[in-house]
Amino acid sequence: MSHLSQKELIEQYYSKESTGVGLHIEDCAECAAAYAELESDLDEMQFSDPPARDAGYGERVWQSLSGSLPAYERRKRNWLGIGMMRGLSFATACGLLVAGAFYAGIIWEQKHQQPTTTAVNTSPSAPAQEHPAPPKERIVVVVLSDHLDRSERLLVQLKHADAGSEEMLSPLRDEARSLLAANRICQQNMKQGDDPALATALDRLDHLLAQLANRQGGLDAEALSQLQDEMKSDSLLFEVRVLRSRIPDRRPAMSDRSEGGTI
Amino acid sequence: MFRMGTNDHEAIRAVLDGDKDAYGVLVKRHSQSLFRVAFRITRNDSDAEDVVQEAFLRGYRKLEGFESRSNFGTWIYRIAVRCALDKIGGRRRDDSSRVADETDPEEEQVQVADEGAGPDRLLLSGEIGSMQEVALRSLTVTERTAFVLRHMEDCTSEEIGAALGIPPNAAKQAVFRAVRKLRSRLAPLRVNR
Repeated sequence: MSHLSQKELIEQYYSKESTGVGLHIEDCAECAAAYAELESDLDEMQFSDPPARDAGYGERVWQSLSGSLPAYERRKRNWLGIGMMRGLSFATACGLLVAGAFYAGIIWEQKHQQPTTTAVNTSPSAPAQEHPAPPKERIVVVVLSDHLDRSERLLVQLKHADAGSEEMLSPLRDEARSLLAANRICQQNMKQGDDPALATALDRLDHLLAQLANRQGGLDAEALSQLQDEMKSDSLLFEVRVLRSRIPDRRPAMSDRSEGGTI
Repeated sequence: MFRMGTNDHEAIRAVLDGDKDAYGVLVKRHSQSLFRVAFRITRNDSDAEDVVQEAFLRGYRKLEGFESRSNFGTWIYRIAVRCALDKIGGRRRDDSSRVADETDPEEEQVQVADEGAGPDRLLLSGEIGSMQEVALRSLTVTERTAFVLRHMEDCTSEEIGAALGIPPNAAKQAVFRAVRKLRSRLAPLRVNR
C-alpha cells in the first residue's frame, strides 16, 4: 500500500472533504499518524489576530479618501448608438408600411378581379342572390322588367295583328324568337326562385312564343286567330302587365351563365 | 443619496453616474475586511491602514473597468492583496536586510533572512507566537501570502491564484511549500512540547 504524500495530507487538511485521501487515512495507521501530526502543527499555528478597528474606521477611511477622489462625469449616453437605433427603427417601420401597402394592394386587386356577380332577382321581394361565375364565362344579363315590357308589346301587337299583313307578321315572328330565348333564360332562373305566379306566366308565355316563332308554314289567318284566342283565354297580356307592374325598374335583375349575348 | 442598505452594484452605478459619495458606502462596508487581510500580509498596523486606503483609491480609479457580474468585495479584496504585496516589496527595498541563502529558484524571489533570535532563545523566553511570526516572515512573499490567504482567510486555491495573479495550481504549490517550511522551522517547538 502506498502512503500519502505530504502534499496530499496538506490538501486534505485544508479541504476537509471526505475524499479518497480521507478514506485512506482512516484505513492506514501510518498515514493517520502523519496526518495527526500535521494537523497538530497547523492547528497550533495561531498567528496574532489583526488589531481590532472600531465601527468608525470605515468612515475615517472614507474621509481621508473623499477629498482626493474626482467625481466621475455623468455617463454620457451613446448618442451615436441611439441615433442608429432610431434610424433602424424608422427603416423597419417604413419597410413594414411598404410591405403592408403591397399586400393590401394585392388583396384589393384580387377582390376587384373576381368575376362580376349579378343578382338574379326573380321575385320583386326576394333579395338578390350572388352567383360567382368563372372568369371566362360570359355573363348574360337579362332584366326581367325589360323582358316583360317587350313581351307586353309583342302581345299587344299580336292582339291587333292582321293575318293579311305579312309586313306586320314577319317582325312579330322575329321578335318572338328573340323573346323566346330570353324567356327560356328567365324560366331557368325561375327554378331557383319562389314566385309561382311569375313561373306560370313565363311557362305560358313560352308556349305562345314558341308557337309564334316556330309555326310550321308561317302564320296564316287560322294560326293567328288561334294564337289570339289562346292569348285571350289565358289572359296572358293582363297577367304580364300585372307582373310588370310589380317589378320596379332595377338592374340587374337576372343573370345567366350560359354563353350568349346581352338580350 | 445612498445609504448603507444600498447594494454594491447600485452604489457603483451611482458613482459612475457622478455621485462620488456613493463610493463612501462601499468604503465603509469593506474597510474592515481589507484591513484584516492587509495586516496579515504586511504584519504591520500602519502599513495595513495605508494598504486599505491605497486599495480603495485604486479601486475608485479602476471602477469603470469593474464588471457588473463580479462581486465588488472579492474584487477590492484582490486589489488590497496586491497593494499589500507592493507595500511589502517597497519595504523590502527600503530595508537593508541581507539576502538569505535559501533563495527559492522556482519563485525567483529573494528570501529574506530571519533577523530575529534563534529558536532556542525564543523557546527559552516562551515566546512561541513570536517564533511563529519569525517563521512566517522567513517565507517568500508569495508563499507567505498564499499561506495567509489559505490558513487564515480560508481562501480557495482559485481565489489565492486570482489575488496573486498566478494559476490556482501554482497557488496550491505555494501553500505546500509554505507549510513544509513552517513545519521545518517550528520543529524544535514540537520536540519540546
